[in-house]
Amino acid sequence: MTRVSENSSSASLQFSLNKAKSKLENLQLKGASLKRITRPSDDPVSNIEALNIGAITSDNKQFLRNCSFSLLQLNATEKSVEQLTEIMNKAKEIAIAQSSDFYDSNIRKNVANEIKQLRNQALSIANKRVGSRYIFAGHSTLTKPFTIDGEYKGDDGKMNLEISKDFFVPINLTGTEIFFGSEKDKSYKIEHPLEKIPEFDVKNKDVDKNSRGLASKEAPEVKTQELNFTERENIFTLLSGLSAGLENNDSGLIQDLLNKFDTATSRLITLRTRIGSIYNSVESSQSSIEAENIDHAERKSYLVDADIAELFTDITRQKNILETTYQSSQQMMNKSLLNFLR
Amino acid sequence: MSDLLSIGVSGLNVSKKALETTGHNMANANTEGYSRQKVVQTSNTPISKGGLVHGTGARIVNINRVHDEFIEKRLNASISEHEYFQERSLQLEQVENIFNEIDNEGLNKILNRFYNSFRDLANQPENETIRSVVRDNASLVTKDFRRIRNTIDAISKNVDKKLEMDVTSINSHIDHITSLNKKIAILEVVDAETGDLRDQRDLATRDLSKFFKIHSYVDSNGGYNISARGVGTLISGGENQKLAVITSSKKESSNNMAGSTEVVFENRPNTPITGNFSNGSFTSLLKVRNEDIQSLQKGMDDLAYDFVKTTNAVHRRGYVNRKIAMDENGIPVHSDSKGPVTGINFFKDPLQRDGAASLIDLSDSIKDDVSNIVTALSPNSPGDNRIAIGISKIQHEKILDDGSTTIEEKFLSMVGEIGIKTGKASLDTEQSEGILAQTNSLRERLSGVSIDEETANMVRYQQAYDASAKVIKSADEMFKTVLGLLP
Repeated sequence: MTRVSENSSSASLQFSLNKAKSKLENLQLKGASLKRITRPSDDPVSNIEALNIGAITSDNKQFLRNCSFSLLQLNATEKSVEQLTEIMNKAKEIAIAQSSDFYDSNIRKNVANEIKQLRNQALSIANKRVGSRYIFAGHSTLTKPFTIDGEYKGDDGKMNLEISKDFFVPINLTGTEIFFGSEKDKSYKIEHPLEKIPEFDVKNKDVDKNSRGLASKEAPEVKTQELNFTERENIFTLLSGLSAGLENNDSGLIQDLLNKFDTATSRLITLRTRIGSIYNSVESSQSSIEAENIDHAERKSYLVDADIAELFTDITRQKNILETTYQSSQQMMNKSLLNFLR
Repeated sequence: MSDLLSIGVSGLNVSKKALETTGHNMANANTEGYSRQKVVQTSNTPISKGGLVHGTGARIVNINRVHDEFIEKRLNASISEHEYFQERSLQLEQVENIFNEIDNEGLNKILNRFYNSFRDLANQPENETIRSVVRDNASLVTKDFRRIRNTIDAISKNVDKKLEMDVTSINSHIDHITSLNKKIAILEVVDAETGDLRDQRDLATRDLSKFFKIHSYVDSNGGYNISARGVGTLISGGENQKLAVITSSKKESSNNMAGSTEVVFENRPNTPITGNFSNGSFTSLLKVRNEDIQSLQKGMDDLAYDFVKTTNAVHRRGYVNRKIAMDENGIPVHSDSKGPVTGINFFKDPLQRDGAASLIDLSDSIKDDVSNIVTALSPNSPGDNRIAIGISKIQHEKILDDGSTTIEEKFLSMVGEIGIKTGKASLDTEQSEGILAQTNSLRERLSGVSIDEETANMVRYQQAYDASAKVIKSADEMFKTVLGLLP
């Protein structure tokens, strides 16, 4: 038979009371914060995953900002190219009408003024600004890219934005691409942003697109079309040429220009298609990021938040346990042989 | 007849002593470390007279304490173990709090914001306002690196203080045990075992076990010895060797911190014994300080160093967001009125990894003028965002640990590690607490006082006392009867 001493019974009482109380305390803390995890050690693995999801979510927030910013830029670019195409069409119609010898020099002089007006319109499009930046100036966004003579002051700088993890899109067209027809830079390749930094050896590394987000996997590849123009099709020169031809009443020159107008217009259409495809991929990555965010929020809630029904059942149960402990201890304490020896 | 009287008296004496012992037990029912005492009585040596053997009553042989040396040793070991895990869990919880990001902002979120503000800047590299947002976020990053590193250092310093206090307390326990040893030796030369003093000594030994694992034994001369496992003898009978602390320089310290506390034997300051202890709260403190905290300090330093170095490497490539004059060959000038135009460090370049996290700060150029925050890879290109994108891309670049992990992942793995360690420590605490409670109850069952038992004994001894008194009374009556025969 085991001996029971005063200290051993009171110690076991204290032990069980302590245990029941500390469990209840822990549950109450969870009930107050409604979180399953209140400190990293509660569940280290879930904690890390939750933090990681938090990081991805705020990255995604930024990517969404980038997306909407890209859409703004692309929209402005597309509108400009559209207006430019209209101008070129108008000019071409005029050129066709004036290519025959039907009109005399007086009328042609008047028409020449109209062409000059069109050229001014084209110039104002070329110097279009979004906010404080000239959108067709390459990297020199704070310098007016085209002079009144149609001379280009900008550069060939391309601006890329990351619209979902490791997925970059160009968001600008340079003045040369649109107004001159690009001679260099025929197909545009996006290099890794750290490629120019020798401290990072990224050239030999494949950028793993699937490592984190789904957005880059689902977003369609941007087709960078070959823009292979053998001739310079300077829009300003074309328009100036046309107005000069009209002023000099030179129908031969006007006829020569017709062909060039066609190439210029078709080039503008190609550029619009390109912008359109970039626009689409930005939109599609935007919607996939939004879908991803919902999934992530759900996963994070699963990892961190407490299951309320379960939690409160647990609290009630633990309360009962504590009460039972109190009751049983009440029966055990205050009992002694001495009480019966009177 | 005088035999009967003396038998009665011997019975009275024995019962009285037994009642006294019962009373002593009851009085000490709640005395910590008390072992119940038990009267060992025996019958007196019989005498033979006239061919008959006559009993001569009872006498007390000894008053023993009920005690088991092996349970005692197991208890000491369980105490050491439990104290070790408890202290460890206590200290690690403090460390863990530094990295708790569940409902507040920590380095993970702040770092993330830093990189994303560079993405924002990449959208509008011309924008000065976003540049100051970048600077603000960067300064938050530096602040948080310093906060983490300084708080870890503070915990380490607190451990140092606690170690000093512990050594004082250990020394007083050593003194206490030594003086008990002396008292016991003096008393036991003349008489038998001194239960109460031995109980006190066992209790003091248990207190000492809280600090580190000890080994106690009685040598051939009867002297009681205690040695600390891995360190050496602390108490040998009436002699002792106390501990002391010294403050060491950074180079000589065991945790690479200046002014850290090292443990030595008293009067032997040149041989540190800091790393030699095992188990107990004292060892736990040393281990948390020298291993867990130190590895976190190093981890944060490495992280800060790599973070600063990579950001600077990209940032130095670019040109400032100002008009840059060119010389006659079209090469940009090196500096203008606001300082150099390229090769600017974003953060102060750290000289060494050691302490990088506590020294991290924005470079003076960035502090002076936000136009020194570089976005462009080529000069005079306000719309060039390549550097800004480059810096934001470091976030996802596997650059640490031989290209296997990113800065974010590395930090998260540190948080995960401390979480796992703390979780394990608190689990171990719970487990060792269970074992300790079990061992304790084992001791209490054997040596603890049970009031019920003592009450029953009291009744028993009282009855025996009454009975012995009756014996004396009947002897008295017998005397009277005999004396009444006389006229």
